[in-house]
Amino acid sequence: MFNTFRSTIRRPLFVFFTVLLTAVVTIFPIVSSAQEQKPLRIAIKQETGNLDLLQNVSALSTYSLVFDPLIRYGENGQLEPALATSWEVSEDGTKLSFNLRQDVAFSDGTPFNANTARWNLERWMGKPEFAWIGISDAMQSIETTGMYELTINLSRPVPAALYELTIIRPVRFLSPNAVDAEGRQTAPVGTGPWVVTENNNSRTLLTRNNNYWGSKPSFSSMELKVVPDELARSNGLRSGDLDIIGGDWVSPLSPRRARTMQRDPNVAVVAEPGTTSILLTFSPKSPLLQDQRVREAIDLSIERNAIVAIIYEGFATPTTNLFPTVIPFSGDRVVLPQRDVKSARSKLEQAGWKRSGNQWLKDGKVLELELMVSEEALPGSRRLAEMIQGQLSETGIKVRVSSVDNATIHDRRPVFQYDLTFMATYGAPYDPHGTLANLLLSGVDSGPDGKIYTNPELDVVVQSALNAQGDERIIKMQAIYNWLNANMAVSPLVSPKRLWAYNRRVGNFQLPATDYQMPGTDVTLSE
Amino acid sequence: MPDSLKLSSIAKWPWAVLTPVLLFVAVSILAPWITPYDPAAQDYSAVLQGFSQEHWLGTDYLGRDMFSRIIAGARVSLVAMSIVLAAALIIGVMVGSFAGYVGGRTELVLISLIDIILSLPSLVVALAFIGIIGPGYWSMIAALTMAWWANYARMSRAVVTSELHQPYIEAARVMGAGHLHIFCRHILPHVLALVVVYASADAGALVLAIATLSFLGLGVEPPTPEWGQMLVDGMNYLEQYPHLVILPGLALTLVVSSFNLLGEHFALKKVPKGLSKRRLGILKKRRAREEMNMLEQEAKA
Repeated sequence: MFNTFRSTIRRPLFVFFTVLLTAVVTIFPIVSSAQEQKPLRIAIKQETGNLDLLQNVSALSTYSLVFDPLIRYGENGQLEPALATSWEVSEDGTKLSFNLRQDVAFSDGTPFNANTARWNLERWMGKPEFAWIGISDAMQSIETTGMYELTINLSRPVPAALYELTIIRPVRFLSPNAVDAEGRQTAPVGTGPWVVTENNNSRTLLTRNNNYWGSKPSFSSMELKVVPDELARSNGLRSGDLDIIGGDWVSPLSPRRARTMQRDPNVAVVAEPGTTSILLTFSPKSPLLQDQRVREAIDLSIERNAIVAIIYEGFATPTTNLFPTVIPFSGDRVVLPQRDVKSARSKLEQAGWKRSGNQWLKDGKVLELELMVSEEALPGSRRLAEMIQGQLSETGIKVRVSSVDNATIHDRRPVFQYDLTFMATYGAPYDPHGTLANLLLSGVDSGPDGKIYTNPELDVVVQSALNAQGDERIIKMQAIYNWLNANMAVSPLVSPKRLWAYNRRVGNFQLPATDYQMPGTDVTLSE
Repeated sequence: MPDSLKLSSIAKWPWAVLTPVLLFVAVSILAPWITPYDPAAQDYSAVLQGFSQEHWLGTDYLGRDMFSRIIAGARVSLVAMSIVLAAALIIGVMVGSFAGYVGGRTELVLISLIDIILSLPSLVVALAFIGIIGPGYWSMIAALTMAWWANYARMSRAVVTSELHQPYIEAARVMGAGHLHIFCRHILPHVLALVVVYASADAGALVLAIATLSFLGLGVEPPTPEWGQMLVDGMNYLEQYPHLVILPGLALTLVVSSFNLLGEHFALKKVPKGLSKRRLGILKKRRAREEMNMLEQEAKA
């Protein structure tokens, strides 16, 4: 009888708990998803890293989400206030005064003021490892003239000083409480719109900084997913695993893929004029390229429009200018030359080369050049090299394409161990001063980037332009471009467009001002 | 059973397995004459075309004729494969036989070296070697040779060690034959008989390794057409123009499988077969006849 009682009470209890459990399991995720929106998911090509402002190890684009500069690089190179609300440069260019934004705090609660700003600037200004930044090299002292007033005194004028303050690293501001006893950064704590909550080799998770001084993001979290493969990224975007992909430094999108994705109704592709140029550079040490006429023959053999159509799928502009127009002081536009194999051949004849079959000979030597490329360093460069090889072979110039890895190209570039190679200008916000100083001045150590071209005459022209101010700067910058053209020192090929893509979940998508920055803070999300 | 079916069909037409291999060899030898276009010639007015009368297998992203490139690619793959195989065989047989013949400490050192190389995957050895000497056609050949010779060395050494103790070697030695004579006359044929068979089975794997290295950008330099490189170039266009990937992939599959079939066929020939009753009868009769002859001769004497 007792057993019967137990079984009669057990059955309803069992049914009740089963129903309850099922209900909880089904309803809970619905409730929680209603409260918590899925984060904005952006693909990144490599892991973020520790975001140390003084070390060259982390991915550049994530910094802009966490750290703010004094001045921001805006559209078309306009300077916009960030942590400084206004600024003034003295007439002689040696004194920069800033009025700092008030009521700003780092995400750990530490207030931002002239003292914290000065502490930050002193961490890198005047240090030898940051001598590549003009303002750091010329820094004499940093003064705080009030709670929110700061002055930087320079030993010489640095015309690009304000632009230098817009770059990503090391100029942005870190909380003074985020360093250890030796002054090394311990955590990425800034004043920016986002706070890093999780950071590993597969993703970086950021949550909204509710104390952010600017307009706060409309959604609460952002996930940066590491997807190294380009095809996997575009598939992820189409399947809805990712919301935004693109940008040279964030997660490059190839022109081919962009073209394919344009036909997908669920994906929007954004193609905007880029700030970089792809250059075919001549080694100043190559014996075969010492004669300017050989360089001119090469330039005349190149068909830039075909490169744009085939390699860039139309997402580029053919150019013979070092910088695209969006870069300040980029100079007068040079008319695009027509490909002219006949003239190219006559240039070679003038230079003393004799045609024999489909090759050129001089003193028993064949005109054969090595074109060094690295897919890792510049995606798509091997195919571009094959195309140039084909174009030059019509003139009879033999090209040997040597495909090397990233480390090799970084070793061989600085010592000019090649005849021809591809290089890219740095792009906004580093240009024009960055490319001109680092890639054209022979005395500046540009590390693995190498040089576009070097010549003692060119050094004088570049140096004088970099030191010029006001209207004189425009004229002297033009003098650099004229020198490069007159001496055929470099063959700019194309200016690729900036390519991004996002899915329909993302609204109000706006490209960041430079590809070194991350988009997404202004966007809206719909489910 | 599919296995017995395959074996019996091969047994019926033993030369059938050679047909695809011979076809590829013929194509690669005749490549310069049978390609309708220069495989490196770019034509921007005819990029990414489908199958047509002008271009049987279409064109690639630079307007190059796919048919010509695949044929020229066969030549590149087979020539590189033959060079690597020959070099690996020469080095392997020499080192292995020397180790086996000399014996003692020399053998121990050499066999340890061979074991070390064999313990690493051959493609990893090749990649490391290219990492040191830099990419290019000849460094690819050198790297693959470095990765492949140890296999043959080990086999050669095993054959030499076992043959060395056979009575006929002792006999030759007693008759005053020199080391070189003994090795070249009596041992080398045994070594080659085994090693060449295995090498023919390796040919397919080598073609694939060459394509793999070129796929990684470490092999043949452009504009020389190579199947692995054609595959990687086609990857960009996979969605809209899959033939750019499928065609070189298909060519690669055909060559690799036909070489594997050939290797398998040779390997089967080396396996000792059980004697059939009829054969046993013939042998017994022959033996009896020989004994009879001997007895007759003895009686005469």
